[in-house]
Amino acid sequence: MTTAGGTPLFLLEFGDIVISFTPYTTSLFILALVFTLLVIASRPERQLDIAFGTDAYMTKEISLSEMRFRRFMAIACGLASMGAVVTGDLFDFCLFTALVGICNVGIVAAVKSRHVQNAAYQYGLVALAATVLLFGGSAMVAATTGTLSLPILATGTLPAVPLAVKAFIVIGVMGEGMAPFYAAKAEMFRAPGAPYVIMCSLSSLLIFLRVIEVVVQL
Amino acid sequence: MIIQRISRFLSDFDNLMPLFAAACAVIAALAIISLPFAYYDDQLYPKSIDEKSPLDPYDRGGPPFSRAEIRLQYPNNSPTAGYVTAYLTPFSWFLANTTLHTGTTIVAHPGGILDEILYNTRGLDTVVETAILFIAFAIGSYIFRKGSR
Amino acid sequence: MIGQYYSWGLLVVLIAAVAGFAALAFEKDDLHRLLLIDLVEIPSLGFIALLGTDLAEALILPGLVVGIAELFALSQIYLVKEGLQDRPVRALRIEVVQRSPAPLVLSSILVVYGVILSGFTGGAIAALGLIFLFLAKDSADDLHLLELASGMSWVLWIAAFFVFMFLPEYWYAALMGAAIGILIKVVTKLALVGTMWGEQA
Repeated sequence: MTTAGGTPLFLLEFGDIVISFTPYTTSLFILALVFTLLVIASRPERQLDIAFGTDAYMTKEISLSEMRFRRFMAIACGLASMGAVVTGDLFDFCLFTALVGICNVGIVAAVKSRHVQNAAYQYGLVALAATVLLFGGSAMVAATTGTLSLPILATGTLPAVPLAVKAFIVIGVMGEGMAPFYAAKAEMFRAPGAPYVIMCSLSSLLIFLRVIEVVVQL
Repeated sequence: MIIQRISRFLSDFDNLMPLFAAACAVIAALAIISLPFAYYDDQLYPKSIDEKSPLDPYDRGGPPFSRAEIRLQYPNNSPTAGYVTAYLTPFSWFLANTTLHTGTTIVAHPGGILDEILYNTRGLDTVVETAILFIAFAIGSYIFRKGSR
Repeated sequence: MIGQYYSWGLLVVLIAAVAGFAALAFEKDDLHRLLLIDLVEIPSLGFIALLGTDLAEALILPGLVVGIAELFALSQIYLVKEGLQDRPVRALRIEVVQRSPAPLVLSSILVVYGVILSGFTGGAIAALGLIFLFLAKDSADDLHLLELASGMSWVLWIAAFFVFMFLPEYWYAALMGAAIGILIKVVTKLALVGTMWGEQA
């Protein structure tokens, strides 16, 4: 039962889906857990607009309901990334990744600004397109190897997964986490509410680190 | 600088979708080139069709409250797998015994192989799936109410 | 038997995916992008269906639900971002339907039939009855009741899941709990859409 992430320390068995805490996935899990707790505990920051050339500045008012909604989305995003890093089933991993994607969109979409909402819409389109690759990729893995369980795929006794299928899964995760788009992601940081927006970046980093481990053992 | 131009192109989020879609199209084209893929014959939950059974597309194998033979990933983790597959509600049991057309409505009745997979052996998938549904509806209704106020 | 046709089926689906993604790459209009994404979701179901086992049928349901859910959220974001929220949406303004007990009778038939069917399909049918009622009555009813029912069914569902996992000998109770839970859940979710639609009229 040794996988690319090491020998499992602890297995949680839900029928066909076995959640495995290997040293690698456990460290990612703890990282996600710590940041989720931080989001729960932290108080939202307030953004200041400073008018250049004068002493004038103003605080942006953010409604309480918006903050509560975004905190809820950030916590959901943290839970989803915890699930995504420890799950031991390929299709389940894809579902958790899709959950991370929609939570990221939710964190940003609640902001009352036309510009930010436009960005959220575009990210949502990318995330939705990425589910096609994720589900398609995992279905093709099941067809070519006969299983979706990652520990069994890691044993190496099954036929190799075609390279294009691996690319499907990697590009799909990139689209959900918007990993290659950090340049454009700066737009998100213009959205007020720092502790919650951090969750967008952290979750995409975590699912990307996990998909490397997943694809290596396919 | 080429990097500067790429970065400027990427920073406009209107360009994200075309870029990602183009990448997807290239990957799918790559997959077409690398066809054929060998189908692995020893699949989980294989499909068997018995056209004479009144339960046709999902012939459940055995009377209710007995155990049907299914091929799952980890038999040790689901000791009662197979009971849900064989189960019929009294209503569908009545339909199956009187007509040959229970198959047309069979997915809607509790029990059967789909319920076995969705609730029991791969139950976590369905939990995550409903969580996605819940989050999407939360976003939709929050934005809807914010807009209507 | 599936094996020899698998690659041919894959060829067709992949060509469809390439065509869909290529169209998406050239499209500039935001609404058309949303519609094209809905189109691209179909090849993704095709990939799963080509697996050709009972597992594939069970995997299609999550695939379909994820697509629909995200499409719903995105369409709401689109409405807000384009400022289209205040436009009046026409409900069913048919005099006969509004004044007579017909919608009530029709929807209760649908709801009862849906409850008999139970499960996912039953939920959809019962929800159709409720949506019709909300549309015809031209008034928003208590959203809180719907949300409460949705939350309760969620709890029922999760409880059923844990019974399946940790007390497998009570599988029958878990099956019934999950079937009723998903019935109420689908009903409330779809009825919520119905009220959202009706409220704006």
